[in-house]
Amino acid sequence: MQFSIKRTLFVKKLNDVQRAISSKTTIPILTGIKLALTDAGLMLTGSDADISIEAFISATDEKNELEIGSTGAIVLPARFFSEIVKKLPEDTMTLEVKDNFQTELRSGSASFTINGLDANNYPHLPSIDTEKQVVIDANVLKQLIAQTVIAVSTQESRPILTGVHLVLDNQELLAVATDSHRLSQRKLHLDIDKDIHYDVIIPGKSLLELSRTLSDDVETVEMRIAENQVLFVAGTISFYSRLLEGNYPETSRLIPSSSTTQVEFNAPQLLAAIERASLLSHASHNNVIKLTLDPAKDDVTIYGNSPDVGNVQETLTHSNLDGEQLEISFNPDYMKDALRSFGQTEIQVAFTSALRPFTLVPTEDQDHFVQLITPVRTF
Amino acid sequence: MTANLGLLQIPLTNDFSRKIIHVDMDAFYASIEEREHPEFVGKPLIIARDPSDTGGKGVVTTANYSARRFGVHSAMAAQKALALCPKAIFKRPDFTLYRQVSQQVHQIFKQYTDVIEYVALDEAYLDVTANKADLASAVMLARRIQKQIKQLTQLTSSTGISYNKFLAKMASDYRKPAGTTVIMPKQALAFLHDLPIEKFHGVGKKTVPKLHELDIYTGADLQKLTELTLIQRFGKMGDQLYRHAHGVDLRPVEYQRQRKSVGREETFGQPLMTEEQVQAELRRLAKGVAANLAKAQLHGKTIVLKTRNRDFETVTKRLTLNDYIADERSINRYAQQLWQDSGDLSKGIRLLGITLTTLNPIAFEEIRLPLFKSSNQR
Repeated sequence: MQFSIKRTLFVKKLNDVQRAISSKTTIPILTGIKLALTDAGLMLTGSDADISIEAFISATDEKNELEIGSTGAIVLPARFFSEIVKKLPEDTMTLEVKDNFQTELRSGSASFTINGLDANNYPHLPSIDTEKQVVIDANVLKQLIAQTVIAVSTQESRPILTGVHLVLDNQELLAVATDSHRLSQRKLHLDIDKDIHYDVIIPGKSLLELSRTLSDDVETVEMRIAENQVLFVAGTISFYSRLLEGNYPETSRLIPSSSTTQVEFNAPQLLAAIERASLLSHASHNNVIKLTLDPAKDDVTIYGNSPDVGNVQETLTHSNLDGEQLEISFNPDYMKDALRSFGQTEIQVAFTSALRPFTLVPTEDQDHFVQLITPVRTF
Repeated sequence: MTANLGLLQIPLTNDFSRKIIHVDMDAFYASIEEREHPEFVGKPLIIARDPSDTGGKGVVTTANYSARRFGVHSAMAAQKALALCPKAIFKRPDFTLYRQVSQQVHQIFKQYTDVIEYVALDEAYLDVTANKADLASAVMLARRIQKQIKQLTQLTSSTGISYNKFLAKMASDYRKPAGTTVIMPKQALAFLHDLPIEKFHGVGKKTVPKLHELDIYTGADLQKLTELTLIQRFGKMGDQLYRHAHGVDLRPVEYQRQRKSVGREETFGQPLMTEEQVQAELRRLAKGVAANLAKAQLHGKTIVLKTRNRDFETVTKRLTLNDYIADERSINRYAQQLWQDSGDLSKGIRLLGITLTTLNPIAFEEIRLPLFKSSNQR
């Protein structure tokens, strides 16, 4: 196997694939990156058994400046290989596999020889053939991921909650995540075949990595689902993830359909106020913020307090405060995560009682995105 | 940090306004045993399991004054105590009884003040600056407490009275047993002046030789040193030494001292040999820990499992959780998990303990969504 390539482009692809490679894997060959060269081009593969990423560099695309000497495959230690490639001196580099998987890297007058491994020992990625592919706008998918993964559980005690529940039915994609203290739900309409139906749980970690590999020039992502795997194809990148097994809890019943107190805020303004109030609550063991809503006086105030440091009180800018008077306490961290997911918008917050979950929705479009937060009972 | 201290003048302010009594029961456990067993009186008595029964293991919990004359003291190996005093009577400690008596004594304290810091079963600080008996004389109050303790329990105690905890403690230790010592603000420096360095509270076996190296043998020697020297040499403890040597100790009597951990442990005469036995005992301990937590209105984030096998090898394993727990079920679940991860039955289990730390008062509870039927505990 022998080729030369434009180094900047190669580095970019290496970075993409390296997201899947962990130095802590239990399978030694997975600390390596697989390079497979055919006449069509060069395929890079990295995997940690949960996530696998393939990046293809086409021989026909002249931008890549891929010159093929001879085809073949090799597995190279990912960390050393990419560090070397990044530091090579010239714009182009040449890679040649010699005897015993010894691999020579050359650029300008620099020459490295590193020990490779037999590519035949590298695990095969699953082949996911399906007619029922789902195409999603890349930016919408990125947003959906950002809005839901915040609510994914980080605790392994309930593995199912470490994933995002995706349900595809009747041209609608529903994504839900919850760690049992908060819940995030996003709905999307998709122009796809009406009889495509899926119900899967994708690890939150996988979605985060997927979102990071989606570069700005990618316009659409194609999703293919098999029994225990999902594949996302975005441009020249293929992203595989395992699915979580088990039944996701039924969550639709948890989102209240009515409320007794409603108020509207500008999301970034409220976020800034919550951040101020949580400066003190974070210092205390009791990370709690209290919110009082008094429609009669048209007053909304937050309070934070740390017995050791001091306390804070702030009257909040709001609009359309309506309903019953209420005093409610909550964990400001959940509120901050939720508010960040809205971006620059007006939101409506709806409460039913001090001990019931409350919801945050965009004022303009209340049907497609909801963040639910459970309050804190104080004694 | 310390180098800059040369430029800093840390003010040494004192507070003479408080009246603090340190009450120390005299040879508490041994005296209770003498009360219960009049035949022990006048003989050297060591509260520890008889080393000939335990194969030489175990330590002295305490000893009566008669045994102390032979050089026996608490925390000494029981085997060594036996060598020093072969005629001594060994009595296995009965902590349930000691706790009962301690409770009686506490009831007496509470008649006079609520500002009480319990240091151990036999030791407490009382802030009597303002007291329920409206007595201006803390000395009279101390004598009255001692008299009442004697009447109710037939036990003697020693008290120290001063304007801070350190001096009160030094005073109670000055004349024992059944002593009452007062250190007035005017007398404090003179009292400390003559005090051997070993007597200073907080100066342990390891510090004494270091102080001797610096030619410090008494409070007077200590008083000559600058704060900077002591801090450079002994860190935080040096600062404390400096303050104490000058009769300064501003620590309050912590009558609401926060508990650091809540736990239960159990020693088994017959070591546990089966998985079922261990699981049953863990369930029992979890129940006890949950009860203690509920009583103290606390919940904790770190669970610690302690095991000891027949070879007296003790293993503790801990697990820190994301959420606070306090209920029996969770405590049992995580204790069982720790046991599954690290437990070893091959050498039997003679001690099991579950402790919850990283405690916090239950001031709030994060409400959970009812996602799973089984988790609907509330």
